[in-house]
Amino acid sequence: MAFWRYPMTPSEQPDSVSEEPVVEETLVEEISIDGMCGVY
Amino acid sequence: MTEPDRPAGAFDPDRPYRRSRSVALRPESFGALVYHFGTRKLSFLKTPELVEVVTGLERHPDVHAAIDAAGVAVAQRPSYLRALAGLAESGTIERRTEKDRAVEDEA
Repeated sequence: MAFWRYPMTPSEQPDSVSEEPVVEETLVEEISIDGMCGVY
Repeated sequence: MTEPDRPAGAFDPDRPYRRSRSVALRPESFGALVYHFGTRKLSFLKTPELVEVVTGLERHPDVHAAIDAAGVAVAQRPSYLRALAGLAESGTIERRTEKDRAVEDEA
């Protein structure tokens, strides 16, 4: 079996793995247009 | 019933909210663009359901009811509440007051 097929133990799993749905990070994005030219 | 331990002015989804009068909302294919005339910030609401929640807030007695009416999946509710808390912090949505409700009732 190739090494990438072995299941990872919890200690080997990346810290970024989360049960949170991906949608959370993409629901709202905010930018400030202060100082931009030509947007009005 | 006792009040939850929240700082004054903190987002409280058990209370009535509305889209701020200081923002303009433009529907887009991904959701909507929101511009705040006071802070000059542009926000991208990236799902149609979030747009429905934000625009529907003023028709519901609290935030939870607006989320329910928009058909947000139960599993996504915490994410929506966090997004709405951020929108409240940035002034995109604001608490409705008794005075607001009196004016709405007269209309």
